[in-house]
Amino acid sequence: MIPEFEYAAYVWSSYAIFAVVIAWQASVPFLRRRRLMAELREERALRSGHYGDQR
Amino acid sequence: MSAFHTLKVGFHRLGSPPNFYRLCTRLAPWFWIGFVVTATVGLYQALYVVPPDYQQSDSYRILFIHVPSAWQALAGYAIMAVLAAIALIWRIRTTEILAMACAPVGAAFTLICLATGAIWGKPMWGTWWVWDARLTSMLILLFIYLGIMGLYSAFEDRRKGARVACILVLVGVVNIPIIQFSVEWWTTLHQGSTINLLGESTMDPSMLPPLIWMTIAVKLMFTAVMLQRASLDLIDQDRRKRWVDGVIGEQSS
Repeated sequence: MIPEFEYAAYVWSSYAIFAVVIAWQASVPFLRRRRLMAELREERALRSGHYGDQR
Repeated sequence: MSAFHTLKVGFHRLGSPPNFYRLCTRLAPWFWIGFVVTATVGLYQALYVVPPDYQQSDSYRILFIHVPSAWQALAGYAIMAVLAAIALIWRIRTTEILAMACAPVGAAFTLICLATGAIWGKPMWGTWWVWDARLTSMLILLFIYLGIMGLYSAFEDRRKGARVACILVLVGVVNIPIIQFSVEWWTTLHQGSTINLLGESTMDPSMLPPLIWMTIAVKLMFTAVMLQRASLDLIDQDRRKRWVDGVIGEQSS
């Protein structure tokens, strides 16, 4: 199913770099959102004193 | 007149952080879906459908990611420059944040362009890198993107950082025509443009569809990440404000 190319190493390494950079760009906002939301929930709990609200 | 008024009101509403946040978080998933669909079609065509080139054989398939990334690196900078100009002139904070959100994605596409170009260059030119005008000006673009990101994060006051970085964005605009016309102004190892949007392309028409699909895909991806990053920057800056409590409440429920 994987096509056999001439210069295969060059072609596949280029596409791999593309995939890695796209995955990295997709995951950074996702991870940052998770961290930020956890921080904000913690800050809110500290302000209100309702620690049970945290997830 | 009423249409203009509606447009003006809509534009001003976008300046409101909660509205801007909601718009970003609602639109971003749709841009991601668009990216997945168009990239799947584009990659399938690039790897399975189009025939090998008669001179470069299969190595030319690198072009289907190299060229859209290069175009997006330049287009991303142009978008960032327009947003930076609006931010500096009208002092719209959401525009400032959007401009700053362009830099990391633009840098990522510049990096893809440089890396895939080097990988293509080795079998075709016999070298990974030459200091010709096109390659060097593209490397300078990467440094400008990194400089903007560094400057923005160097200030404790994010707004001050954004304003200083916006000035650097406008200074860096001078590099864009240099990149674009470098292959005409100087003798370069990098070839001249083979794809002309307004005239006839020297590229075989059978090779154009994957290039068009991948170009659309990277544009959608750029927009999705830009909106996501902007919404997160906004919420981070406004973490003490009341509207953010509402957002946390929505996320928790």
